[in-house]
Amino acid sequence: MWFIEILRVEYKLVYAEMFRRKSMLVMMFLYPYVLTGFTLFIGYSFGSKQVFVEKTGVAPEVFMITASFIMLSMLASIDDMIWKPLMDLWHGTLPYIIASPVNRIMLYAAIPIPRLTAVMIIGSTSVIPVYTLYYGLNGFPTSLIVIGLASLGAIFMITPAMVVTGIVNTMGESWRVINVIRPIFMILLGAYYPRILMPLAGLIASYTLPSSYVVELIQAFLRNVTNTSNVLSLIGVATALFVIYAPGGSRSILLWEKKKVKEGVKYD
Amino acid sequence: MPSAIITKNLRKVYRVKKRLGLIKSQEEIVEALKGISFEVKYREVVGLLGPNGAGKTTTIKIISTLLIPDSGEAYVDGYDVVRQANEVRKRIGLMLTVEKGFYGKLTGKENLEYFAALYGLSRSEAERRISHLIKILELDKLGAVDKLFEEYSLGMKARLSIARALLKDSPVLLLDEPTLGLDPPSARKIRELVKSLAKEEEKAVLYTTHNMFEAELVCDKILLINKGLIVAEGSPDELKSKIPKLRVITITLRNSERVRVGEVLAPLVATYTVTGSEFGETVVKVSTKNPEEILGEVIRALVACGCDISSVRVEEPTLEDVFIYFSQ
Repeated sequence: MWFIEILRVEYKLVYAEMFRRKSMLVMMFLYPYVLTGFTLFIGYSFGSKQVFVEKTGVAPEVFMITASFIMLSMLASIDDMIWKPLMDLWHGTLPYIIASPVNRIMLYAAIPIPRLTAVMIIGSTSVIPVYTLYYGLNGFPTSLIVIGLASLGAIFMITPAMVVTGIVNTMGESWRVINVIRPIFMILLGAYYPRILMPLAGLIASYTLPSSYVVELIQAFLRNVTNTSNVLSLIGVATALFVIYAPGGSRSILLWEKKKVKEGVKYD
Repeated sequence: MPSAIITKNLRKVYRVKKRLGLIKSQEEIVEALKGISFEVKYREVVGLLGPNGAGKTTTIKIISTLLIPDSGEAYVDGYDVVRQANEVRKRIGLMLTVEKGFYGKLTGKENLEYFAALYGLSRSEAERRISHLIKILELDKLGAVDKLFEEYSLGMKARLSIARALLKDSPVLLLDEPTLGLDPPSARKIRELVKSLAKEEEKAVLYTTHNMFEAELVCDKILLINKGLIVAEGSPDELKSKIPKLRVITITLRNSERVRVGEVLAPLVATYTVTGSEFGETVVKVSTKNPEEILGEVIRALVACGCDISSVRVEEPTLEDVFIYFSQ
């Protein structure tokens, strides 16, 4: 019951930030198109569309709009959570949150859900039209499956994001670290840069992210090379990693809070 | 009845890095609290007064579970602030700063709803409490209920902060300079509310302020804190009586010759001045440690020599004098 209430007010907070900040809302709608346009422009300038299709098995426009959507949804999980302690520090709300009896894990688990919902709705405005354009009527159910899988991938990102949030925010000047970590996540998820092409260290790091398996699944699905065992094994590994990260995530958040309280939560 | 807040020998040391150049730095040790002990009872407003850096905020932070002390103990409503922090958090209403502490893109009411959820209030209970608080803090009259927090005036922000502190109906309130920067009507509203919360709703209030006038009006007891130690405590009157200060008797006379007045006073008091006021009156100021002992005699002497007394005033030492005396 308490979780539902927290989720409700988190929805209100995130949607107020989005809808009462028009520039942010417009950017959320435009982001997949802007990113796709930019990457396609670069791609067309240096390479050929035919080669891209041969190598990936997907039209570059579809690949890029999908990759942008995957990024947007999975980063929604990471962003809101990882920035939350800093945003609360800047708003001056951090001491009131720490001095409240709320279950921290419950709060942090609720944080990414509202933006994720928004991203799914907004992102579908880019994925559905492009898929329908390229695959005709079949594109519609395909796009829904991709949106569903991307949502699942974003949910799988919650527990590793909690681990990172706790660790990063215990560091001094954590915003600098966050700005470095974010693009690394973007690469390691393998949405733009398939992990099969990554160097060994990158490949190993990518395998530790549960959502990267979902990205792999989406890419296989688009190439039409999926089968039931493949789907189950990828989802299975992602689920197992999600569960493995959970205790670490909760410990990491509590560790961050313990450190803050030891130093003294700043509010002036 | 047990005390709502008990602190025993609280100590806190901060290790601050002091920059010595581009790369070099040196650790500096700041003793914020050197062992403070005090109690706050229910139905009591206790003021924590002291100069900047005295340890007021550190004390509030420890009691509100936002800081762990190095040693000593603190209890809120019977619960240990370190070992039973979550129980303490259920029992405190907190107001730390007036300017910040809310989400700018949420309205005042939405902000209260947000914190009500964090405090574990059910939706119906939250709605009931919020409506009640909006009414008693007159946020509706100010048009602040559906206004975004980022558009709030300082007075509105202070009222909203108080409303949040009261959301849980906690038995203990910790208010850190709640009227800082407020206009007189808002400051008065908050002072009146704090007093009534203590007396009528039996809450224990720990209140920090720099405003001596306010401390005197609101607080039942004052703790003067300086350099991490409580240097004096008592009611405002008790504290005033603790400082050795001369009090000044000011007597205003009509139609009196200043020379004659001086002749009358000379054998009675050691230190006095006789001056003229802008309204043509004669103003006599007598400095003494014991005004009660000489006042009658002075008045009788002046009346006997034909002086027409229009007013008599004895200036007591103010809380500000007490503050300055103990802060030095």
